[in-house]
Amino acid sequence: MASDQELIIQFQESINREANFTALLKKHQQKVYYQIKRMVTDHADADDIAQLVWIKIWDKLDGFKMESEFTTWLFRIAYNETLNYIQKQKKQLTSPSNNDLIEYEHATASSDSPKSTEIQIGLDSAISQLPEKQKVVFMLRYYEGFDYEKIASIVGTTIGGAKANYHQAVKKVEGFIKQL
Amino acid sequence: MVMEQHTEDNIEKDLAEDRAWAESLLNKQSLSQFNLSKTDAPFNYFDSFSDKVMQRIEREKIEKTNSKIFFLPSFMRPINKWAVAAAFIIVVGGSFIFLNNSVSKKTEASIVANNISLQDLSSEEIETYVDANEWIAEIDVQTQMQKENARLSSLDEKQIEEIKKTITQ
Repeated sequence: MASDQELIIQFQESINREANFTALLKKHQQKVYYQIKRMVTDHADADDIAQLVWIKIWDKLDGFKMESEFTTWLFRIAYNETLNYIQKQKKQLTSPSNNDLIEYEHATASSDSPKSTEIQIGLDSAISQLPEKQKVVFMLRYYEGFDYEKIASIVGTTIGGAKANYHQAVKKVEGFIKQL
Repeated sequence: MVMEQHTEDNIEKDLAEDRAWAESLLNKQSLSQFNLSKTDAPFNYFDSFSDKVMQRIEREKIEKTNSKIFFLPSFMRPINKWAVAAAFIIVVGGSFIFLNNSVSKKTEASIVANNISLQDLSSEEIETYVDANEWIAEIDVQTQMQKENARLSSLDEKQIEEIKKTITQ
């Protein structure tokens, strides 16, 4: 499989632009979608934002100078687009609805003890209450395993700031769960 | 090379420590369950996603091309705002100069009209005045003539006779 850099260079040199772009998109589409969905929850919203992100990538890819990793740039665009979308919608997209809670109960009831189900619902509720930046930093660190330098570039902060956001996020979620 | 490997090992170690710390406080099973619930998508969603994006890009390209018909070509676009600014200055400045000029002409004309009576002027002087002051002067002359007519119509027969005598003498 061709590397990101090879695909981007070919795209920029107008060699099979569409094919190279599609290859790049297929390589990263899942991670981008999941990252967005962790922030907005609803599939239709996540789908719409993901499309906007890739349209922006198409428009700006000619100007990408490869000074940073492509994925850093990609996730930064995804993060900014998601924030814009949330602000435009002006609604609590991240709050778990009753349906979400019922889904969780249903998903965990067969295998887990009642106590575990409570923790599960509590965790979802607690994470949804985090400020957007802390939430994203936590997701990128814990689930994607990104280093702090990359996370800092994505959310527009320092390495120290990213570390602080991760620790604050974990402590806040712990606090929310203890209150339940 | 050894240095790079060492740095990578440290990054991995830090990540493992951060994960372990979060799991000790938030329950590892719940964390992984949370991720599962957030990383699901409708069946075959990713198979058609790229086509959907490409179609939307094509649609936007067409929309952009259509909208360009009504605007200047891209190489002239930087000139656009200057052209608008220049047109604005010309319109506003031109109107100001034109209006200012008309007002001053009107003022001059009214000063002349107040100080000199029409009957004191010879027809040559009137013609020269009219030529020099164009349409504003025309209006002034007409106004003055109307005033004179009104004055004459208010006179009785005796007064008219006296005026006739003065003219014939």
